Amino acid sequence: MPDKIKKILIANRGEIAVRIIRGCRDLGITSVAVFSDCDRAAYHVRLADEAFHIGASPSSESYLNQDKIIDAARRSGAEAIHPGYGFLAENAVFAQRCADEGIIFIGPRPETISLLGDKLQARAAALEAGLPVVPGETIEGDDLETAISKADKVGYPILIKAAAGGGGKGMRVVHRADEFENSLQRASSEARSAFGDGRVYIEKYLERPRHIEIQILCDQHGNAIHLNERECSIQRRHQKVIEESPSPVVTPELRQRMGEAAVNIALKTGYVGAGTVEFMVAQDLSFYFLEVNTRLQVEHPVTEMVTGVDLVREQIAVAEGTQLRYTQEDIKLDGHAIECRIYAEDPQNGFAPSTGRLQHYRIPAGPGVRVDSGVVIYNEIPIYYDPMIAKLVVWGSDRAEAIARTRRALQEYRVSGLKTTIGFHLAVLASERFVKGDLSTSFLTEEYPDNKYEILDDDILRSAAIAAALDKFTHERKIALNSGDGNRRAVSLWRNHHRRDRLRKFERES
Amino acid sequence: MPRYLVKVEGREFDIDIGYHADGFNVMVDGQNVDVKSHSIGATRSVLLVNDRSFEVDVHPNNHEEGRTVFMLGVEINAEVEQYNLAQLRKRAGMTTKSAAARNLRAPMPGLILEVKVEPGQKVARNDPLVIIEAMKMENVLKAQADVTVKSVNVARGDSVEKGDIILEFE
Repeated sequence: MPDKIKKILIANRGEIAVRIIRGCRDLGITSVAVFSDCDRAAYHVRLADEAFHIGASPSSESYLNQDKIIDAARRSGAEAIHPGYGFLAENAVFAQRCADEGIIFIGPRPETISLLGDKLQARAAALEAGLPVVPGETIEGDDLETAISKADKVGYPILIKAAAGGGGKGMRVVHRADEFENSLQRASSEARSAFGDGRVYIEKYLERPRHIEIQILCDQHGNAIHLNERECSIQRRHQKVIEESPSPVVTPELRQRMGEAAVNIALKTGYVGAGTVEFMVAQDLSFYFLEVNTRLQVEHPVTEMVTGVDLVREQIAVAEGTQLRYTQEDIKLDGHAIECRIYAEDPQNGFAPSTGRLQHYRIPAGPGVRVDSGVVIYNEIPIYYDPMIAKLVVWGSDRAEAIARTRRALQEYRVSGLKTTIGFHLAVLASERFVKGDLSTSFLTEEYPDNKYEILDDDILRSAAIAAALDKFTHERKIALNSGDGNRRAVSLWRNHHRRDRLRKFERES
Repeated sequence: MPRYLVKVEGREFDIDIGYHADGFNVMVDGQNVDVKSHSIGATRSVLLVNDRSFEVDVHPNNHEEGRTVFMLGVEINAEVEQYNLAQLRKRAGMTTKSAAARNLRAPMPGLILEVKVEPGQKVARNDPLVIIEAMKMENVLKAQADVTVKSVNVARGDSVEKGDIILEFE
């Protein structure tokens, strides 16, 4: 039996750090948190067994600072580092650095991370492994004329994407040939400024595609399995906001074909650990390889809910060198799970970040509900990091029950002090199209072109008005009571009225 | 009986509040409404409106008449005015100037990427005013009302703190 890991440093913050700390505790592993200046009172610091300060609030000086994280690992005596997602999770240099320092990096090998992190190389690997890819062309080093003829060959509409890209940056849809030159230049310059790498490639643009991905799990002994799909078509700014498993359109036969394709690329690239193979699925259900995310995904809990597999536990087991304890036949698909990402954002205002202090915070509970929250009451939401504060993950015996339970849980959520996406989720989950499962990555722009997510009926507005009026009433009354004998106001209403009137005149005149 | 005119999300309610030993007497738009309110802390209360149960959290916002109500997982902004004053004001043909119509404040700390207006310019509701970069995202700040820009307090490249006044309106 390989040696068990006894102590893990979690090089992350927020809900994913909390998730991994919980995984460690389940296994009797000591957890080590790291934190920046503004995260001194963060939830992950409070839950961890040990915590190390690693620097100033900007992530470049803390969560992205490899020296400080390695130093914290050394000082704590952790044998392994779990990177979570984001920050250093897909950084091949960091993975290599851990290996050089004799620390286990819980994730794939550095070579695999760097191969799959490059979209062009990943695409080539997918082709080699026999996966269907979206028709496309690389245009590295081409002159404009060659690029134009390649675009014509792919056929419009096309998508221009950054080779080093992610998160929608440097991505452009081109509908007509006369827009191509301009879009190419802009995509390339955006890619250069965002990733320091101006290489772009072009792809056939699929109309109203779905985003469906396969969770994979591989050990160091050449065993690889898949854990079904997740549908993540509900996106804003090319980022997922609602995910579910299974997909409402994937049949057992399609699941098997997509799963086998995912396992094939994992085997071809010597993948180790948990990962995700992302596909675009056309309306006719033909699927195309998109990319491999070499990390634990944000939305991993929906897979955990329907398969019963604890992905963090399996990641740690794989890192220890044990063989997978599941075969493909062991992986079941039980019921339906939905995840809503709760962001500190204002959905009515283009999902602008909403920072501030959580003056009240209470998470829902009840049958089927799991909340992976990175915050607790009175926490400040810092400006430095991703504004996702929690994930609401709900299980039901079928999709309809999962939707009903998710709506119930969203209604139970209480957040005061900042705007969140809770109301947005309620609106989407009540929409006919979502309930029917008629999804695509352009769902939100099609259904809510002006960002209006209405969930407030007249009854609710009237109650809000009463609450506001009562607050004003009791506030005024309290002032009167505190400042006199209760019968007389310390300040005459007439004086107030006159003052106010003067102020208004002043305002009008100025 | 204090009487208020309350504006919520474009709706107006005429709310009359009386207080007696057992609770409140509330009339909304001339109709009796059964209201029970039980305080559960400085700002929060359980509110029963005709027996429908709400948990509300009411906070002052940046002007005297303003209240922010958090309920059902959403934030609702309300303006509460003395009813008589509101009537006087309406008769005089004046509108309330909400905070949003007086100035534009930075909703978050960030970097000014672009200022799309200049002093004297008339803008319509939802016109883009300023683009601010925060949390690695570009955020377009839009006009909340039809206003005329009086002054521009920032320039491209400036850093702003949350609450800083970026633009003032006439």
